[in-house]
Amino acid sequence: MSTVAERSAARKRAQQQQKALDWVDDRFGSSSWLRSAMDKIFPDHWSFMVGEIAMYTFVILIATGIYLALFYKASDAIVIYHGVYKPLDGQAMTEAYASTINLSFSVRAGLVMRQAHHWAALIFLAAITFHMCRVFFTGAFRRPREVNWIIGVTLLTLAMLEGFSGYSLPDDLLSGSGLRVVFSIVQSIPFVGVWLAFTIWGGNFPGTEFFGRLFVIHEFLFPLLLAGLLGGHLAILWRQTHTDFPGPGKTERNIVGSRLWPQYTVKSTALLMFIAAVIFGLGGLVQINPIWIYGPYQAARASAGTQPDWYVGWLDGALRLWPHWEFRSFGHELANPFFPGLLLPGIVFTVIYAWPWIDKRIYSDYGHHNLLDRPRDKPLRTAIGVAALIFFTDLTLASATDVIGTGLHISFELLIEILQYGSFIGPIIGFFVAYEVCVLLQQQVAHPIQRPVGGIIMRDARGGFHTVGGAHEGNGHEAHDVEHEEAVLEPVGAGASGRPSADEDDPPAINPDGGATLPGDDGHPSET
Amino acid sequence: MPEIITGTHGPEEGAGAGTPWPDDVPPNQDDTWYPLRDDPWRAARLEYFIAALWGVTGICGIGLMVVYWTGGQAQLEGWLLLAAFGCLGVGLLLWARQLLPGHEVTAIRHQHISEPEVRAAVVDSLSRGAEPMLSRRGFLVKKVLVPVGGIFGIAALWPLASMGPRPGNALYHTKWYPGARLVTEDGRALTVDDVMVDGLMTVWPEGYIDNPQSAAVLVNIGGQPLQARPGQAGFEVISGANGLVAFSKVCTHAGCAVSLFNVLSMQLICPCHQSTFNILQDCKPVFGPASRPLPQLPLGVAPGGYLIARSDFIEPIGPGFWNRSGD
Amino acid sequence: MFKRRPASGPAGPGATGTSRRRSALAGPAALVGAVMAVFAVLFWTLPAPAQTKPVRTDPASIQAGETLFNLHCSACHGIGGVGAKGPPLLNVGPAAVDFFLSTGRMPLSSPNQEPVSGPPFFNKDQIANIVAYVNYVDILHGTPGPGIPDVTPPCGVQTPNCPTLSEGNTLFLLNCAQCHDASGAGGMLSHGYVVPSLRQATPTQVAEAIRVGPRPMPNFGPGQFTNQQVSAIADYVRYMSTSPDPGGLGIAHFGPVPEGFVAVIFGLGLLLLISRFIGNRG
Repeated sequence: MSTVAERSAARKRAQQQQKALDWVDDRFGSSSWLRSAMDKIFPDHWSFMVGEIAMYTFVILIATGIYLALFYKASDAIVIYHGVYKPLDGQAMTEAYASTINLSFSVRAGLVMRQAHHWAALIFLAAITFHMCRVFFTGAFRRPREVNWIIGVTLLTLAMLEGFSGYSLPDDLLSGSGLRVVFSIVQSIPFVGVWLAFTIWGGNFPGTEFFGRLFVIHEFLFPLLLAGLLGGHLAILWRQTHTDFPGPGKTERNIVGSRLWPQYTVKSTALLMFIAAVIFGLGGLVQINPIWIYGPYQAARASAGTQPDWYVGWLDGALRLWPHWEFRSFGHELANPFFPGLLLPGIVFTVIYAWPWIDKRIYSDYGHHNLLDRPRDKPLRTAIGVAALIFFTDLTLASATDVIGTGLHISFELLIEILQYGSFIGPIIGFFVAYEVCVLLQQQVAHPIQRPVGGIIMRDARGGFHTVGGAHEGNGHEAHDVEHEEAVLEPVGAGASGRPSADEDDPPAINPDGGATLPGDDGHPSET
Repeated sequence: MPEIITGTHGPEEGAGAGTPWPDDVPPNQDDTWYPLRDDPWRAARLEYFIAALWGVTGICGIGLMVVYWTGGQAQLEGWLLLAAFGCLGVGLLLWARQLLPGHEVTAIRHQHISEPEVRAAVVDSLSRGAEPMLSRRGFLVKKVLVPVGGIFGIAALWPLASMGPRPGNALYHTKWYPGARLVTEDGRALTVDDVMVDGLMTVWPEGYIDNPQSAAVLVNIGGQPLQARPGQAGFEVISGANGLVAFSKVCTHAGCAVSLFNVLSMQLICPCHQSTFNILQDCKPVFGPASRPLPQLPLGVAPGGYLIARSDFIEPIGPGFWNRSGD
Repeated sequence: MFKRRPASGPAGPGATGTSRRRSALAGPAALVGAVMAVFAVLFWTLPAPAQTKPVRTDPASIQAGETLFNLHCSACHGIGGVGAKGPPLLNVGPAAVDFFLSTGRMPLSSPNQEPVSGPPFFNKDQIANIVAYVNYVDILHGTPGPGIPDVTPPCGVQTPNCPTLSEGNTLFLLNCAQCHDASGAGGMLSHGYVVPSLRQATPTQVAEAIRVGPRPMPNFGPGQFTNQQVSAIADYVRYMSTSPDPGGLGIAHFGPVPEGFVAVIFGLGLLLLISRFIGNRG
């Protein structure tokens, strides 16, 4: 109950707010947009927050990155180190390396910022990958969100390259070996490879002006692209509204969740705080990338346990697993690194980019979707996704064969052989297992929230219920033959408030183009 | 022709009659409800708890300033930041869940598809001027502007070629020259007796220490028999009990330094992708992705017992490339 | 006010503290200067300290060593070290014996077992006696092997007899890191041989291994590394193993692999759990 004082305080506050908003509206005419923005609904399922985790991690990366950039010197010039860290005293090294050592040891917040930045990068890519998997397995990439999928996959690619260029900036032994491998991959491109490698590096490896360029890419070009595409990603999401899982009271035409103001804003800010807590906690408490141990990069040096960061691991693993094939004829050579280093990621990303259209073909579903699939509702897609995940996990494990072998006392020859076979046997097995699990889960009990819309529920003489009218409609269920289905528990015709039309109970119209229509969409079309 | 859903955009088509706003709420939803609205005592208690949490954040902030002022310590900073952000986050979350409205609201989802008339109007605007723009079967646009634009675009990219030199035959040579003494990283020239049997050293040509392409591994294989490749026989130096061979250290797979040495199996191994080379078979790759042996350096002995190179490697070192002629 | 210390980093030996202003008292200063000059002269002109540790040569120790040897070692290495199932020990030298015994690699339970480091079977006294015996046998045979290196501790400034951490770092990264990992955590050779971690090794053991080359490790003789260089490497390894990690938990010192695990499984996992608290579970 509000008191008189509270009510008059509220009135005064409202008047002040009105004045401020009038000032803004006078200049920008923004009132309508502001109102609709504040009223906007965001579905609340926890898995929808993973994209936000990626976004906020990006924000922290930018913030810590700006700090690091104030101290890092992107220069190949050779300097003699005479700083705090004694084991490097008197050694020649690039200014890039020396400045990173100084940042780690002589700048007060430097080590925490550097480590937080690196941990944030690893988590950034983990979040993007998880988010992409969530979008894939729930079919959120379907029309009208195909363009957002394209943008998202581009964000993934850019993030991987950004991370790689970032950890290569300090010019330490570990990342320098990685750059050497990339040089060799570029060199292996037919016709132009050597020229391209010499152009990018300004000469033969390691070049004399490379870190300035890498700095421009990492600091300027890619962050701009990332920020721009992320903005587009969010704008499209805003415009199209977020998808949601099916549930009681949810249809293709409504949206259930939290209002942007104040609920979602505050919860989202809380998420940002938690992300910052985890990243800065790791940044101060768990050591990452101790470049002073690796020493400055020199071409004749190498360390055991030379791996890239985890998200590039699948490429490094591919390089280890790919058999020693090289092709030579007519005085020309297709060098070995070309196939796992360029051809494989080229094919992989082409398939990933094209997936929304592949999915449409597989399911003959060209319809508009705001409600998501549960993974079990699309066994084929889920099985393909699981197979792909097993493939990438196999390749990522392959990049750690020497470390795994050291820990488990297994020879790397055996490990590599297992992972070579595993790279195609694993996905095949995974495919069939996942498919069967999905079908099994579907057959268990028709989920109470998935009522067989459009069918007629009949009761037979024995007292059991079954549906008549073909496939389970609604949300893209695949047809499957079940002889005697259990009745769905939700009574036909009831529902939460706010659901619009009664035409959801009409029998489904089978579109002559092959795709079943979704009820609740006014006979929604499929693309011709 | 696909059916088009009519959109519900525009104020006049809002679900509630007379309301000017696009996203409308079913009338029986309470937009001001929050879980502790009707329990002011618990609400107050929660607010004090949140205040305490945020107080911890403030204390951690002061702590951070003190830590920075006294020289900084990474683990302390980590704990303080973790606590500060964590308390902030927990407070905000409790605030949102228990004390702020706006949960579980249902609203109409926009169909943002425009009406047929609007779409047609766009096509009308677009085709305004189509006739003069594409006159003479699109002569100006298709046959002149596009090719010229393409040529100019390529010209605009040309300056990127200044980023690096033309490779020429840079990949075919290293800094090894006839008579170059083998020196270690501290500049000491090695004699035939310096490296023990079953030992190895990284060497460079004298005057080019630390040159990336010229690093080589000198191994003493003792009396073990060496199987040389055709064209590379006699590259070793046998002196007493010492059998000295030298190979390029740059891996022929992807260029890392091949430096692991398994004495029992007489193998050189690359740490990057586990390419394994049999030293006694002229560093032929026997495992891993490398497909070409490590090039061997032809060795000789100079007066004084110093090991020298008789010439550069007879083939390009390192990873393969398009114009690399077959060996 | 607060003293400025170097931020968040290990200060190696020889790190400077606060600088002092000298007093202007001429007399004591001159005396100190003279003493320092004398020491400097002595330091630079005295012969270098012995580079290997002395081995016991008294008959009692050799006898005790022979008894232990016949009991525990001769089954594989033969009476008198001439070799049987195991290799002969007639020219291995004290360093090899001390290394294998003090790191617990020997004695093996069976001849086919791969020697791995562990708790030593003998105590220091017994090891010294066995070393004495094998050294005696080697000298009789005419081929004494490498002696036990006497590792000199690191100095702030490199002098002819005094290795620096920087020298050790340079040598270690070029010659040792590829097998033992830049952090000394170990690695993997071909045919399943695990390269051991160096983080528990003493400087003497490191120096011994460099000179002896316990297979499958190569050996590095005086023509490859001077005694000072061996000391430098051993000092650096010890320094690396004993300094606290400035960045926090070292997570096995294996580099990107454990870091990736922590980030993906712990970091993202924690954030996903937090998301489940913030959002709905649907």
